[in-house]
Amino acid sequence: MNYLELTVGAVLVNNFVLSRFLGICPFLGVSKRVETALGMSGAVIFVMTLSSCITSVIYNYLLVFELAGKRYDLRYLQVLLFILVIAALVQVIEIMLQKLSPKLYQALGIYLPLITTNCAVLGAATINAKQGLSVLQATVFGCFSGVGFALALLLFSSIREKLELANPPKSLAGTPIALITAGILAMAFIGFSGLC
Amino acid sequence: MQDIFVSIILPAAVFMGVLGVILGAVIGVFAKYFKVESDPRVDLVTELLPGANCGGCGKAGCSDFAKSVVSGENSPGKCPVSSPEQVSSIAQALGIDAGESFARRAVVCCGGDMEQMVRTPNYNGVLDCASAVLVSGGPKGCSYGCIGMGSCARKCPFGAIEIINNLAVVHRELCVGCGTCAAVCPRGVIKMVPADADVHVYCNNPEKGPDKRKVCKVSCLGCRKCERYSADMFGTNGFLASVKYDADKLPTASDVEAIGCPTGALLTVERHLQIETNDPEYSEDENK
Amino acid sequence: MKINNSAALSFKGGIHPSGDGKNLSSAKAIESAPIFERYFVLLGQNAGKAPEAVVAKGDAVKKYQLIAKASGFVSANLHAPTSGTVAGVTTIPGPMGVPAQAIEIVSDGLDEAVEPFSAIEWQKADNKVLLDRVAECGLVGMGGASFPTHVKLSPPPDKAIDTLIFNGAECEPYLTADHRLMIEYTDPVLEGAAIVGKILGVSNIFIGVEINKADAISELQKLADKYGIKIVPLKVRYPQGSEKQLINSITGREVRSGGLPMDAGCVVQNVGTAKAVYDAVVKGLPLVERVVTVTGEVVAEPGNWLVRIGTPVIKVIELAKGVTANPGKLILGGPMMGFAQKSFDVPVSKNTSGILLLSKEVAVNYGSGSCIRCGRCVSACPMHLVPCLLGCAIEGERYDLAAANHVMDCLECGACAYICPAHRPLIQHMRRAKAEIRRRNAK
Repeated sequence: MNYLELTVGAVLVNNFVLSRFLGICPFLGVSKRVETALGMSGAVIFVMTLSSCITSVIYNYLLVFELAGKRYDLRYLQVLLFILVIAALVQVIEIMLQKLSPKLYQALGIYLPLITTNCAVLGAATINAKQGLSVLQATVFGCFSGVGFALALLLFSSIREKLELANPPKSLAGTPIALITAGILAMAFIGFSGLC
Repeated sequence: MQDIFVSIILPAAVFMGVLGVILGAVIGVFAKYFKVESDPRVDLVTELLPGANCGGCGKAGCSDFAKSVVSGENSPGKCPVSSPEQVSSIAQALGIDAGESFARRAVVCCGGDMEQMVRTPNYNGVLDCASAVLVSGGPKGCSYGCIGMGSCARKCPFGAIEIINNLAVVHRELCVGCGTCAAVCPRGVIKMVPADADVHVYCNNPEKGPDKRKVCKVSCLGCRKCERYSADMFGTNGFLASVKYDADKLPTASDVEAIGCPTGALLTVERHLQIETNDPEYSEDENK
Repeated sequence: MKINNSAALSFKGGIHPSGDGKNLSSAKAIESAPIFERYFVLLGQNAGKAPEAVVAKGDAVKKYQLIAKASGFVSANLHAPTSGTVAGVTTIPGPMGVPAQAIEIVSDGLDEAVEPFSAIEWQKADNKVLLDRVAECGLVGMGGASFPTHVKLSPPPDKAIDTLIFNGAECEPYLTADHRLMIEYTDPVLEGAAIVGKILGVSNIFIGVEINKADAISELQKLADKYGIKIVPLKVRYPQGSEKQLINSITGREVRSGGLPMDAGCVVQNVGTAKAVYDAVVKGLPLVERVVTVTGEVVAEPGNWLVRIGTPVIKVIELAKGVTANPGKLILGGPMMGFAQKSFDVPVSKNTSGILLLSKEVAVNYGSGSCIRCGRCVSACPMHLVPCLLGCAIEGERYDLAAANHVMDCLECGACAYICPAHRPLIQHMRRAKAEIRRRNAK
């Protein structure tokens, strides 16, 4: 698989948020300010790259092994395993952030632990496994999936900053109008389909 | 059966177990090297505070206040919203003195609703008090009283202010005394008074009596009737009577009756609410 | 004289209010108002610090006598408009909608005047003498801001002033006071302008006049050469008479954001101020009267009057034979930047260029809707701001955003609110934000 195809596909065509609809929770939760959206994007790119790399190593090299002349295939454990690895990774990042950047830690708040259960991160790992990507391919794919998430989040948060100043009907104010906007944004991203 | 155990369950359990131990060890190492000293007392105090983040204490929010309490900058009693019991529980938890608690309540010192006040030529600007004072001062004739566009009601974190007939009225049973409304009011009509004060002068106009009378039926005329009744409880500042809130004895409903304010600017909180809500049976207790 | 519209100068942006109502009073010659029974001279009528009263209750005063002394540099003297007795410092409805302090003078009907100051031969006089005279006579900018003139005429030495501009644009609809002044007091206006030029040491003097006042332009041009003053025809566009826009129209310079006209090497004065300077220097008379336009659809006989400072507005309206119908709104100043009044007892102050009574049909409350982002306000804003964004930001109480988008540069000219199809109260929002940001910065 061509790396260019892989990256463009991850960022635009099969954008995690806007065409696969994964990771909607932080997409709506952290998109009120561009500043926090940037922090969250950074954290997600980091976690996705690292988790894709590690899970792909485990999936490709450790799950199928021979012991005492017997072949073991533990690939059916992938979901369990991925969650375990991602959870540990997020925990490590949280500990590091608390020490290194308390401000970002405060800003991300509840959403940092939420990456643990972020389906986008798990989704990246699962897609890697399903498509049979090599470790390098999986890492690139993970990284650019994160970039795609960041792109969607940044676009959306800057729209929401403007939306905050708008005066929609009372029943639509807040999350409803944000969801409608997200839908329109997703439709716009359909335009990228067929790019590769 | 044994075959399944050996070929499937055992390797899976062992694999996951080993992985778990490795990851646990990694987290342990990171937790050791990136340890952040945090004071568990801050979280404890934050939990005990009301959590309304009203800013009545002057801090950015409850957790900020908790930090200042733990560091000894503020005493727990500085939180205007906490009940005395809550304050003492915080003090107990920290093993410190609760400090002087001063429970306050907001009172809108104006009785001029649209029936009492002279109306001015139509105001057709923004329905917001701070904006109205910048142009002509809203729909009422008095330049000192409540404008009644509800900037305070919108800002009150506890929903304690109601706008009745273009007059802000504080529901004392909901008010916690955070002072947000007093800071917002562009005319300074809202005053923070001791929580047990029951009688107030519902007028904020310092001009001469006849001038006030021209714009409002229920203004304080500065006749000093209340001051003559008891100089300990009442004072007169220029042409405006005031209750001496820091005096030993605060006036009560019976004092109000004995004075018989000629315009009815001197009222108990309950009577004021009765008048404004047009409900003769209105009682604070029932409303609770 | 016919002037080609395309030859006239202008700035970018602005609006052209339709039916500007100037024909109601533009042909009416200035008449002197009689002496009234009571005058209320507002203490805080100049920008800066209010002067302190130097007369007390019961004092007898004569016309031109000093009644309040400037307190500090940015402050202006006040003089008695007529002879009579001081009835004290009273609280009356002020022009800003809040009660204000004023010196009340009960006229004795004699209108006796004190000896005026000695005339100064300004061509030979020292600048200091001229400046002192301007300060003594209590001159303030008569266009609307009422900034003390002597302060404006003493720029800091590090600001090189090379251009002096007089504003005869009178871009506000309805108002014709400056128009009539330029026609009937052509020579005093020009000589006053030349005196100001002498004080500032500037020979590059312009008078900008909108081309709808062709008669005023031709009158001025007849005498302008005598004083070396250039008369500049300007396009009819609101707010042509605003300082920064006038500088841009005439010199092509821009005043930087947050800057003053002196940063662009310019000083801008109103033509009314020029006439007051002439009176103060050549005749030795303090500022006690000004030309006021009384106009509006409901005024029986609109016109222009020379009114003493301190005359209650209701008396001036009576001069115009009252009203023909119940007025919808009373405005002091023009309809765009003037202030709506609650009371007819407001007195005329040094900056009252007009008394406008709008009919109920004109002063209608349209109610305001949501911003539809049409951008008309953006093209109308003479300061090149984005009023639609500012309005929304201020409604959402995002003052940080408003400040970042230069709300402090807003002139409050009202062009955006005029053009807005949703009738949004943009100017009130801007004022709110400016007050709020000033308050926060002061903290």
